[in-house]
Amino acid sequence: MLLRLDFNSDIPIYQQLRNQIVSAVAAGELRPGERLPTVRALAEECGINMMTASKAYQLLKAEGYVAANRRGGVMVRLPAGGAAPETLEGLRLRLCELRLAGLSREEILKLCGRLYDGEEAER
Amino acid sequence: MTAFWKFILWAMIIWLLPLLNMYFKSECKPKKNIIVGVTLPYNAHDDAAVLALLEKYKRELRLTCWIMLAAAVPSLLLRGHGTFMTYWITWTILACLSFYIPYVRCNKALRQLKEERGWRREEEAPRTVADLKAAAEEMRWLSPWWFLPPFAASLLPLLFDRTLWWLWALNAAMAPVFYLCYRYLYRNRAEVVDADSGRTMALTRIRRYNWGKCWLILAWATGAFNVGMWLTLGHVWLCMAVVLLYGLTVCLAVIRIEFRVRRLQEKLTADSGRGYYVDEDERWIWGMLYYNPNDARLMVNDRTGIGSTVNLARRSGQTIMGLILAVLLACPLIGVWLMGMERAPVELEITETELVGSHFGGRWSVPLEDIESVELMEKLPRLTRTAGTGLSSACTGQFSNSEWGRVTLCIDPRTGPWLLVKAVDGTLYLFGASEDGAAEKIAAKL
Repeated sequence: MLLRLDFNSDIPIYQQLRNQIVSAVAAGELRPGERLPTVRALAEECGINMMTASKAYQLLKAEGYVAANRRGGVMVRLPAGGAAPETLEGLRLRLCELRLAGLSREEILKLCGRLYDGEEAER
Repeated sequence: MTAFWKFILWAMIIWLLPLLNMYFKSECKPKKNIIVGVTLPYNAHDDAAVLALLEKYKRELRLTCWIMLAAAVPSLLLRGHGTFMTYWITWTILACLSFYIPYVRCNKALRQLKEERGWRREEEAPRTVADLKAAAEEMRWLSPWWFLPPFAASLLPLLFDRTLWWLWALNAAMAPVFYLCYRYLYRNRAEVVDADSGRTMALTRIRRYNWGKCWLILAWATGAFNVGMWLTLGHVWLCMAVVLLYGLTVCLAVIRIEFRVRRLQEKLTADSGRGYYVDEDERWIWGMLYYNPNDARLMVNDRTGIGSTVNLARRSGQTIMGLILAVLLACPLIGVWLMGMERAPVELEITETELVGSHFGGRWSVPLEDIESVELMEKLPRLTRTAGTGLSSACTGQFSNSEWGRVTLCIDPRTGPWLLVKAVDGTLYLFGASEDGAAEKIAAKL
């Protein structure tokens, strides 16, 4: 699985790391139980600070996408069922934005279906 | 300097030309989709315009080879150690640098062609690409115990010979230095070429394995060399054979590893570049100098082969590169220093308390009260240099002789007689001066 980090982006690096790992888990590129690099190895690989790599993993751990084992390793896992409150809040906000952009309920549902099917096809 | 020694010195270095030619020529073959420092897609590897540029590049390399070979000839007519050495060192540096001229020219032309044909891979902005699966593979470092035997072997001479302790200590320090280089000059980063993690992991393992092998061979060869030096000290030809054997072993091993890794990189990535492929050209000035302000690391791996380089976007990287350049440019000064040595006279004087021989800032003395006997020698015996200067106009430092054993010299071998001084503790000194009759005057005073 390839990570592509854009250092000129407004999105912080740890957030880019988190987002791409979540996308990879959703797309099945990273499977539950699969080992991820250690904080040091991830930092070395991307040429970033260890703190940045650690922050990305902490975020993923808090959201339930990864779990740390006793030997300092990090494993992929699937979060417990149901959407987290923050995810629902985020979705609500995106829906408002789409409504303000002039999209109808049907158009929004169609768009969601297309994006979901795209994700499924990628898997 | 005799024609024989000039020939030996040239023989030691002239093979650099075909080697550099071969090394730079190997850049024409795509490795990790990189040709002469430019990342190109699969379909561009056989493009007629690319092939034409590569042919031109090869011709320029051959021309550089011939020019540098021709430039080596005049030095055979030079007289004196200093002049020859200045020429020899300058030539060596220029020979190494000259091959970069066709390389940079070809790199620029290929980049321009890449722009014109729209072969640029990067979307909007250059991105740092990392392979998570490959990065998750742990690197098993070689145990430091592997470096212990050569270190222990290098310490042997130190136990038996205290006179040259500094030389043996310096030699013994090489094994730990090689271990540190192995451990800290390597950037532990996967060799990402495209989205194929299997390929990335294979390439990474090849580099890691050969990197360790390279430093281990260096450490063991140096350990053997140190013992060999100690055992053959005093036997000029044997000692020289040990030096040549060591040089040959190390050079051949490193060259073989470098070319083997390049061949494997070429083979493993032969069918890459069809879909997504990594393009980091924006971060490599002229395809060879790494400049990436977004990379927090100082050391980075070379794009092909097993070498390492520094990130020039970091202050420490600039300092290291500046120091390397300064040392390279200062090397010819060694020859100038030798010229000064050749021209400086050897002087001998007697003060109230000691007998002093001096040459070019160096000073060798014996307290008068320690002198047991003095003898004037009309003919110089055969002496072998252990540590010091051995020029036709001055011989200073530690020498040895089968009859006398070790002797400290400060003489001008062209002007005799020479003064053989024996100290009460049995130490032998041989003094002389560039000025005619100086030794006789001193002998009379003594």
